[in-house]
Amino acid sequence: MTTHDTVPGIEERLRAALAARAELVRPEDLEPLTPVVELRPRWQSPWVLLATAAAVLLVLGIVFQGVSGGPRSDEIAPKPDEQLQLPPDVGRDWKADDQSEPARLDLDGDGTKEKVEFLAEPTDERDGRTRVQTTLSSTGEEAFGLVELGTTIGINALDPIDADSDGDQELVLYTTDLDGGPGAPFEPVVLDLRDGLLVRAVPDDPELLASGDVAVPGSETEYYDRVHLQTFGVDGATLVSTRSVNAFARAAGGMTVLRPESYVVDTYEWTLDDQGVLRPGEPGCLVQVPEATTPCESDSADDLPYVTTESTDTIGVGEQVALEDGGLGYRARVEDQGGPTLVVDGPGAEGSVYGLNVPEPRVHVVSPGYLVGNDAASVLVTSGSDPGAMEVVVQTADQAGLVRLRPVGEIALGSGSTADGRAYRSWLTGAGVLVTAVAGDDGSWDAWQWVRVGDTEIAPLPWGTICFDDVEDPTSGRAC
Amino acid sequence: MEPVDITELYAAHRLSLVRLAVLLVDDFASAEDVVQDAFAALARRPDAVRDTSKALAYLRVSVVNTARSALRRRRTARAYSPPHDLSPPSPEDAAVLAEEHREVITALHRLAPRQREVLVLRYWSNLSEAEIARTLDISQGTVKSTASRALVALEKAMTATAGSSSGKEER
Repeated sequence: MTTHDTVPGIEERLRAALAARAELVRPEDLEPLTPVVELRPRWQSPWVLLATAAAVLLVLGIVFQGVSGGPRSDEIAPKPDEQLQLPPDVGRDWKADDQSEPARLDLDGDGTKEKVEFLAEPTDERDGRTRVQTTLSSTGEEAFGLVELGTTIGINALDPIDADSDGDQELVLYTTDLDGGPGAPFEPVVLDLRDGLLVRAVPDDPELLASGDVAVPGSETEYYDRVHLQTFGVDGATLVSTRSVNAFARAAGGMTVLRPESYVVDTYEWTLDDQGVLRPGEPGCLVQVPEATTPCESDSADDLPYVTTESTDTIGVGEQVALEDGGLGYRARVEDQGGPTLVVDGPGAEGSVYGLNVPEPRVHVVSPGYLVGNDAASVLVTSGSDPGAMEVVVQTADQAGLVRLRPVGEIALGSGSTADGRAYRSWLTGAGVLVTAVAGDDGSWDAWQWVRVGDTEIAPLPWGTICFDDVEDPTSGRAC
Repeated sequence: MEPVDITELYAAHRLSLVRLAVLLVDDFASAEDVVQDAFAALARRPDAVRDTSKALAYLRVSVVNTARSALRRRRTARAYSPPHDLSPPSPEDAAVLAEEHREVITALHRLAPRQREVLVLRYWSNLSEAEIARTLDISQGTVKSTASRALVALEKAMTATAGSSSGKEER
């Protein structure tokens, strides 16, 4: 991929070092963990029910007085009384997980930091409650609380905050969603010392204070939903969070989110009010760029959908080419075998053939590699005479041959006009991404990216709005 | 198509995925957790992947993302310590890793997470640009440019490490 000019041997050194470091992990080093098995839903766990009931009694008794809003997921718990209720004093004999580190912060505001320990409820799945306990330096009395964080493994606090600016500090833990895949949201758990108990302060908008890919309610379609990209953290002694202004399409299954490299986020600083409710301040603005953020400017906006290149090199009957497929090493040629036939050679595809159905077929040199999940050949076929014709042909997962991917979803693949008279055009970008732009009413175009949604199906995901001076020349794409 | 057999995947790929995670987080215990989380996530969503050949790619994505989250949490928990403080090799690791390799690994962990991920996936996992792009959910062009810049940054970090080491020896 890259030949480094300044240090010729650096790639070799890196390769050797990585191999050496990896091989320090030997098979016998692995913990004899129980193989993963499918678990019953969390709500069916008696531990979860117990924990939820206890935690919600603890929390809601003080926090939810006067809090309005929609129903919460933990409504299975008994309704709280109007006053703080003592949680069951369980867990004194629980032990801290080896990977948990005590937190040190000044919970009672006397200038001396308390040592706060996290004791794990022993359960088979290590996902029980955590007893958070300390001895207050000001009184010598014990204070504790019970929380459920999704796991009892490796409980570590973030930096403390003083969200109510009262001089004492609040403890910030966070949940872990073991049920979630990549991007599964998790949220902070803020514990405040009240009446000798560590009480959870609940945000008035919990979804705004989550980190991860947070789904937009009601956005789900058969092939995708939309998510806001969110983070939270502690900056100084303040709990801060960010949420992308726009929501981005996430393919069903959660593997793909069409996130731009740079996008605008709203930022929030959270404060704790007298009722023990965390409330966000007025939103600020930042631009999230790779690995950093930058201040917003008047024209800050998300990156345009990456559709402003087009791969146009093709071959026809009697020609062959080494496909530009990211180094997979496939070759394609078009033969006349009583009709135009695509022939692919390469790993697991020695001479695989596919009869082409489009008139005057043209096979693109760049592969639509995003449409195959692992090492496999992929070919885009267009027509020299019919701009509406377009086919994606890929190697089957079992390497038995080549198969056409069937477009499904909200828009058509190719070029033409929709039923309501809107023009659409599809093309392959220089990066091998198959896209379609559909004309809007105001001169703008809605960009869609095609993704694999089944063994032999592809579907379009909405990718954003862009304007073209000439849609036949994607390089003319610009912000509207 | 039937859901993938998680137990079979576990037996076949756990070691290689833990090794991948170690290269990303440089901490064996965290690496084991990262991989366990990845398998747990897959087990709880068996319908997400019905093709065994794609399950490894799914797990790889999960490991990379979970490792990144682990580092982010570790960084946050340490009050935004600079990256080079994040994950020093454990003493036992340092004891058995040759000096020439340790210098590279130390420099690697001074890189930005995405740079490190691209280099590890390219030079250890031996993935193609296309596969890296899919794993990291970025374009192939970004993979290429990130890899190029990462090698330059790695070289600089190694130079800094060497300078730092020589300075200590002189004292």
